[in-house]
Amino acid sequence: MPDPIRVAAVGDVHLADDLRGRYAPLLTDISEEADVLLVAGDLTQHGTLEEAEAFADEFDAADVPVLVVLGNHDYHSGAERDIVRLLEDRGVTVLEGTSTTIDTDAGRLGVAGIKGFCLGFVGRCAADFGEPEMKAFTGHGIETATLLRQALDELADEEPDVTVALSHFAPVDDTLIGEAKEIWPFLGNYRLGEAIDETGVDLAVHGHAHAGREKGLTPAGVPVRNVAQPVIQAAFRVYDVVPRRSA
Amino acid sequence: MNEQQARDLEREIATDPRTNELGIRLQVRGDNLVVSGEVASEERRSTVLEIIREHDTGLDIVDYIVLSAEPGPGGPQHEQIDPPRRS
Repeated sequence: MPDPIRVAAVGDVHLADDLRGRYAPLLTDISEEADVLLVAGDLTQHGTLEEAEAFADEFDAADVPVLVVLGNHDYHSGAERDIVRLLEDRGVTVLEGTSTTIDTDAGRLGVAGIKGFCLGFVGRCAADFGEPEMKAFTGHGIETATLLRQALDELADEEPDVTVALSHFAPVDDTLIGEAKEIWPFLGNYRLGEAIDETGVDLAVHGHAHAGREKGLTPAGVPVRNVAQPVIQAAFRVYDVVPRRSA
Repeated sequence: MNEQQARDLEREIATDPRTNELGIRLQVRGDNLVVSGEVASEERRSTVLEIIREHDTGLDIVDYIVLSAEPGPGGPQHEQIDPPRRS
């Protein structure tokens, strides 16, 4: 069996000045444990540039590539474009319906990412019907899944040995157990899960559901991991993903 | 304060720029206002309670807020993810 590609992940770190110093010491020398660090959105608490600076300072300690998606908190102050620019200037890769590849000693890792949006799950989801506001809400959720699917399709051309889908909103409801069911439509989106199931993904990673649980599966059996920091209660988890060529 | 006003105050805690805490729950229990949920730091807990105190609820505040576990110095946990079996 080939060596695994080691994917570290955390989400919902909600950084601001009051949390400076919480992550940097734990990310130093992370290359001994992982080949890449994914962050599943809600990098900041209020979506300000100052908080994004705190995130960049803390995660600059990681000596592996850092790939992130934004979360809903990162949009709150209307500064998301500036946050993306700041992070990219600091060497962080921000995935927004896009993908990237990283060549590791164990093979090529492909990651496609998107924030995602609300929608809900089969039988309990918003419908593209009625008022324009409802159609806009639903349409945005569907659009994010379409963008993820496109990013994953494009990524397949790069022939990665391991493919990971990174989002803030949950692609399945398995990992929401523990959250009040009434808010599940605001926590995830089954269309994200469909995109993952139809594009050869090996692992899906998300955040957003602080009271959910870590582990779940898509309907087709793709492992899903909710890495919201309050769920994993660690600076990061590491998933050792065995390349598909060994199957 | 009644339950409806408690919902309004929950929304205020979610939208007040000092907090933007979406996971705080308020419940009226007799003469008590029970505050629960999870925040990331002691400072954020204090700010939530400060906003509540700015409102004349007429109730005793019961603080059941819990702090998120800080990422500890323990080693990271690894989990092996195997490829899907081909049929």
